[in-house]
Amino acid sequence: MRDYWLSKLFFDLQSSAPLGEQYRADRKKILDSYPLKPEVRAAVERDDVTFLAPRVNPYLLRFYFVVAGMPEAEFLRKVRTAGAAAAARSSHG
Amino acid sequence: MAKLVGVFASSHAPLIIRGWKDVRPANQQTLTRALTELGRRIKAARPDVLVEIAPDHWVNFFINNLPSICIGMGEEHEGPAEPWMKECPYKKIAGHPKLANHILQTAIERDFEPSVSHHLTLDHGFCIPLWKGGLDPLPPIVPIIFNDLEPPFPSVRRCLQWGTMLAEAIRTYPEDIRVAVLATGGLSHSIGEPTMGEIDEPFDRECIRHFEKGDERNLIDFLNERLPTIGNGAAEIRNWVAAHGAADRRGFELIGYCNCPEVYVGCGFASWNLGARA
Repeated sequence: MRDYWLSKLFFDLQSSAPLGEQYRADRKKILDSYPLKPEVRAAVERDDVTFLAPRVNPYLLRFYFVVAGMPEAEFLRKVRTAGAAAAARSSHG
Repeated sequence: MAKLVGVFASSHAPLIIRGWKDVRPANQQTLTRALTELGRRIKAARPDVLVEIAPDHWVNFFINNLPSICIGMGEEHEGPAEPWMKECPYKKIAGHPKLANHILQTAIERDFEPSVSHHLTLDHGFCIPLWKGGLDPLPPIVPIIFNDLEPPFPSVRRCLQWGTMLAEAIRTYPEDIRVAVLATGGLSHSIGEPTMGEIDEPFDRECIRHFEKGDERNLIDFLNERLPTIGNGAAEIRNWVAAHGAADRRGFELIGYCNCPEVYVGCGFASWNLGARA
C-alpha cells in the first residue's frame, strides 16, 4: 500500500532541484510542510529504507535517496537489507 | 495515406548519460555501436513523424492522477527535465497534433480508452535513444506514455493490441507522410528494489527469442509468467510488445544487446523488418 504524503514528498523533491537543495540544508523545515504520520516521518529522519520501501514506488524511493545525498553503495546495501527483512517477515507468515 | 516506414525499440538507461565515465570501455563500445545503428536505421527510414512509446518516470504524472496510456497531443513538448539531462540538445520538441488526434480517434473507434495530454515533458525515456542515436534535428514526435512504473499496468495482451491499433491508425491517416514507431525501455533491470543492479540475461535472451519467433501467444504467456519475477524495470518491455504489435508481430531483428551492470540494465536495441513477411 502506498503512503500518499510520503510519496508526494519524494515526488516533489525529485521534481524540483531548488526544493532538493532546501531539503538538504534544512530537512526538518520541509518535512514540517507535509502531513506525514509520526512513524513515517521518524523513518524518513532516520533514513530507514526497510520501513519506507513498502510504502512508496521503488523509483521514487531511489530518486529520493539520490536527492537526499545518500551514497549509492549505502542505498544498495540498505535496500537489499530491506528485501531480506521483507522475506523474513513473509516466511514467518 | 500515411505509411508505416519503421518500427524500433531501445533501452534508455539513465546511467548511459550520468554514469557514462564508469562504464567499462567494451560496454561503452557495444552501447555506442548499437545506439548509432539504431539512429542510422531510424534516419534511413526518413520518418516525417515519429510515434514514440515510453514510460513516464514521475515527471508528468503522480499517484493522484496516473493514466494507464496517454497520448501527447501538443504542438510542442518540453525536453527532459532531469538535471543530469541538461546537455541534451532537445529543449523544445515539436509534436504532431493532427496525427496524435487521428491515433486518438482510431483508438476510441476500436474501444480503447486513452488519456490525452496537451503538453507533456519528455523525460530521459523518450530522449536518450534519440539523442545518443544522433537524431538531430528530430522529426516531430507523437509521444504515447505507457504506465510501466506503478501498478496497475496495462496487460501485455492489451499492449500488443495497442500496437496493432496504432499501425492501423498510421495506415489510415489521410496525409501522405512517413511514420515510424520507436518503443523504449527494458530489458531486465531493477530500480529501488532489493534486486537493484541485477540483470537477468537468460530472461532477456529468451524474451528476444520470443520476439524473433513472433508467436503472439507464446510471447504473452512468457511475459505474463516471468515479468512478475523480474525486476520492476522489465515492465517496460510492454512498450516493445506494442511495437511488436505495430509491426504485425513479425520481422524482429536484434541490433544489439549489452548486459551492462554499470548502468544496471540489460540493454537491448532492435528493429522490425517490415518487408520481411513469413
